[in-house]
Amino acid sequence: MQNAKHIYSIFADYLSQYFKTRLAYRADFLGDLASNLISELINLVFIIVVFQHVPLMGGWSRDEIIFIYGFFLVPYALFSIFFGFWDFNERYIIRGEMDRILTRPVHNLAQVCLESIAPDRIFGVISGLIIMGYAAIQLKLDFYWYDPIIFIVLSVSGALIYGGVYTAVSAISFFSDSRTGISPMIYNIQQYGRYPVDVYNKIIRFVLTYILPFAFVGVYPAAYFLRKETWYIYAAMTPVVAVIFFGIGLLVWNIGVSKYRGAGS
Amino acid sequence: MIQVKQLQKEFRIHQSRAGLGGAFRDLFSREYKTVKAVDNLSFTVEEGEMFALIGENGAGKSTTIKMLTGILTPSSGDIVINGFVPFKEREDYVRSIGVVFGQRSQLWWDLSPLESFRLLKSVYKVDDTAGEKWLERLIEELDIGSFVSQPVRKLSLGQRMRCEVAASLIHKPRLLFLDEPTVGLDVLVKQKIREFLRNLNETEKMTILLTTHDVSDIEALCKRVLVMDKGKLIFDGLLSDLKEHWGNGTEVSFQMKKRTKASELRNVLGDMPCTIEQINDYSLRVQVPRSQEMLPFVLSTVMASFDVSDVKIMETSTEDIVRNIYRTDGEVASHA
Repeated sequence: MQNAKHIYSIFADYLSQYFKTRLAYRADFLGDLASNLISELINLVFIIVVFQHVPLMGGWSRDEIIFIYGFFLVPYALFSIFFGFWDFNERYIIRGEMDRILTRPVHNLAQVCLESIAPDRIFGVISGLIIMGYAAIQLKLDFYWYDPIIFIVLSVSGALIYGGVYTAVSAISFFSDSRTGISPMIYNIQQYGRYPVDVYNKIIRFVLTYILPFAFVGVYPAAYFLRKETWYIYAAMTPVVAVIFFGIGLLVWNIGVSKYRGAGS
Repeated sequence: MIQVKQLQKEFRIHQSRAGLGGAFRDLFSREYKTVKAVDNLSFTVEEGEMFALIGENGAGKSTTIKMLTGILTPSSGDIVINGFVPFKEREDYVRSIGVVFGQRSQLWWDLSPLESFRLLKSVYKVDDTAGEKWLERLIEELDIGSFVSQPVRKLSLGQRMRCEVAASLIHKPRLLFLDEPTVGLDVLVKQKIREFLRNLNETEKMTILLTTHDVSDIEALCKRVLVMDKGKLIFDGLLSDLKEHWGNGTEVSFQMKKRTKASELRNVLGDMPCTIEQINDYSLRVQVPRSQEMLPFVLSTVMASFDVSDVKIMETSTEDIVRNIYRTDGEVASHA
């Protein structure tokens, strides 16, 4: 607990430093802000246009699919704010920055996450909410007072599932001495999670539920808000899956750190 | 304070085969070679000691330092420092040490050192009032006040290095590791850093471990020296003993007014255990083994018997000693 509190206070410090450095280059910052907004907007329009042409997918209506997609964007954005260390192998292993990380008294994964924090990804949350709002109006969905809380729990769980898998994959860098080509593969697979699982065949469904549980980031939790009762159990399992997979990620990472061999010199 | 017992670190290195065919075969079966980077290392260090770890490139210094700082997990052996086992209790342990890697930066590139210090203070949970006082002292003693608010990327190497030292000390550690801290620095900055470290050691009783290629660092700072070669500890003792053990003694070179031969000098000196070398017709070099009454005797005898125009006395430098160690050890290895 003490540790978590410490990490949280450091998080605030890192965040304020992030903005300080970003604001130091004012033009750059404003440009980034504008281009982020524009790209999210284009995304939004694109999604709505594309889905206009998709009437029904394995029993799911167009608006339901849009809703799922909107939901997916939220945990995905949360994930990409904190797990932006896609250059982990290059930066921390090959260039040896991990040495520095390991000589500081905060959990090393937390440090790596904080050092590559990307708060500008928060726009993903906003566009996710807009897309969901649009679909909810189309579907005339009702919400209860406690739904926002459930939404937050499910979104955070989704982000943790991604985070766990991503952490475990990144940790492979500790074991192998060459670059890994696994990250792109994971990125491809995670795209499946956005669509209803029952449009895919049984094998893919199995994989996305039990092996790489990306269905828990999109379909299952979204199904709760769409009041699809057949999926309620899966939706309820989301936080559990999150804890398990993030735990696995952390475990692989910690084993990886003990196998870390450092860069030369 | 530091206890190291039979420390070993082995690396498994993948041997790639030659050519495209070899690369293809590597896909299926890999050959590994096990290299002992650190071999059976044992030593202890008391609180307040200042000592240097020296050795050629690849002697295992960096690997040793990385195990001592908890970065690497040893293959076998025990390390206990400040009451912690570094790689096991890493997060608690690193609170009691400071680390400076000469080749790597602790500071945030886009921030000013002062901002970096502030961030590090929260990382190390440094108490505000006492920490502020300590930081002020660091800034003053390292003389970094004039540029501590500029972004790190605008600092010169010497300025940056002094900030690095300050950054590593922000939490007032009891033990400081410096891995090649003076690489590429000019003499003035080197001196400043050395003075600062010596002062720190005296006033705070801070234990300091240094690895370096710069022999003048050792001479200026350390009494105790550990020499590593091929992963093994080959010397552990005082710098003066190191000189005694591996030094060539003292060299005296005489410049004569008249042509003088080595044999003439030998006649005068009798059967003194010294070697005489003829440089040219007018100058000779005498090598005297380290012994206190030998040198004055050689000097007075030669001065009395010849017309000497100039005398130079050269103590063997630590640099020569280090070279000697490396050379002799190379011979030992080639015999084996």
